[in-house]
Amino acid sequence: MTTLSNHVPDPRLITAYAEHRDSPVHRVNAWTKFGTVGALVLAVTVADSLPVLTGLYAATLVVYGVAGLPYRRLLYWYTLPLLFVVSVAVPLAVLEPGTPIGGALGTPLGALSVTWQGAILFAELSCRSLTVVTFALAATMTTRYADVAYLLGRVLPTPIDQVTLLTYRFTFVMVETLEALVRAVLARGATLSEFWANRRTYARILGMTLLTAIERSERLVKSMEARGYDGDITLYGDVPRPPIREIVVLVAVYAAVVGYALIAVYGVVSL
Amino acid sequence: MAHIHLGEGSFPLWAVALWTLVGVTLIGIVVYRLRRGGIKTHQIALAGIGAAASFAVFQLNLPVWGGIHMNLTGLVGILAGPALGALIALVVNVFSAALGHGAVGLLGANTLVNATEAIAAYYIFRTLLRMDWDVFPATASAATIGLSAGAVLMGAIIVVSGVNGSALPRADLTVAVAGLVGLNLGVAVVEGILTGFVVQFLASVRPDLLDLIDRERGEEDPAGVAA
Repeated sequence: MTTLSNHVPDPRLITAYAEHRDSPVHRVNAWTKFGTVGALVLAVTVADSLPVLTGLYAATLVVYGVAGLPYRRLLYWYTLPLLFVVSVAVPLAVLEPGTPIGGALGTPLGALSVTWQGAILFAELSCRSLTVVTFALAATMTTRYADVAYLLGRVLPTPIDQVTLLTYRFTFVMVETLEALVRAVLARGATLSEFWANRRTYARILGMTLLTAIERSERLVKSMEARGYDGDITLYGDVPRPPIREIVVLVAVYAAVVGYALIAVYGVVSL
Repeated sequence: MAHIHLGEGSFPLWAVALWTLVGVTLIGIVVYRLRRGGIKTHQIALAGIGAAASFAVFQLNLPVWGGIHMNLTGLVGILAGPALGALIALVVNVFSAALGHGAVGLLGANTLVNATEAIAAYYIFRTLLRMDWDVFPATASAATIGLSAGAVLMGAIIVVSGVNGSALPRADLTVAVAGLVGLNLGVAVVEGILTGFVVQFLASVRPDLLDLIDRERGEEDPAGVAA
């Protein structure tokens, strides 16, 4: 039976964790979390050592736990990111030159074997990906809706910010619409277990979802214009500048990442 | 929706910078063109809710090859047009990255791939309609070709960038990536056919959405033409 996937994080659950839970990570300033995502992206891009990458991943798992977020669901949510890593890293693990692990498998194309270098590459790619996935989820699940909206409104240029704010607002509505349509189809006896046999049912579900979206957008235009929309959706919230101790920590994190890259990775600076 | 099927940190720093720059340039051009023409409220609303619908559709698990997810980028391009389609691709990628799907550092590359899908699907769809194709084959073909273009571009981006930490020569990397691109081409056909059915359904209930009213009137009124 096909329903909404549990491999993709439900934005309603994400927001519920952000709005109704409390933890030390919830109390960190939204700008600090945003800056930390950037530092982590830079760190996993430049780091070239498996122990360092494993350490970074372990640290983000600890942050996720401190935030009181569910590890079991995280395992489900890892499915797609890991699938992406596997889809490229598995062929690379076989093709990567190096010392074979165990014996080689004879094939018409030649001997195939997973090498130590290939296995390490797979582990590195997994750690890189999961580090940022884990922290991004931790950040979104501990930052209130109003704060996320404020950041999006401040960071993105017009009209991207306007589109993004409307998307954020209506994602919840569209997920509920889609869920209701699937539930209605299932209640009428559809199984949806096979795609090809049910292709027209799927088309109707998706078509109705888009039709609902378009009709909502038409109603929204009228309401926006009636309220005197002039290219700016007013945000009443505010995310203040991070406290000084968070700024110091963030600067130290960036300095550590840049320093590590310059000294240990690129060898630009020698100690 | 073809993605760069690599997680965060898979490209070297120069490649992350390069694709970010290319992505920013593309979106910069789109924003400039939209601003120059004067952004209409309905464009903002359609792009915002269209992106929300695209993001919501991604939550649906389709029972093909054990389960696939789609964003219907080709469909979004056909309905919203090339400029708004590119903006929607960016916004959907931003939200996907925030939920751990896709990558923050690869936003530029992902947007480039998905915007290509939306733009190609739109222009191919319009060309095929002008050639008097029916809605279903025109949409299915346009979406399949657009998504295939995205899949090939995705493979090219990976081969040009190289994989962080891999000593594999470019030729061998091309072999490794070819399987991934092939898989995406298969998904493109499935998504293309589904897009065809969706647009056929939309055309039956709201032909105005696809600017098909004049075309239908022309077909329904042969006497007028004869007179």
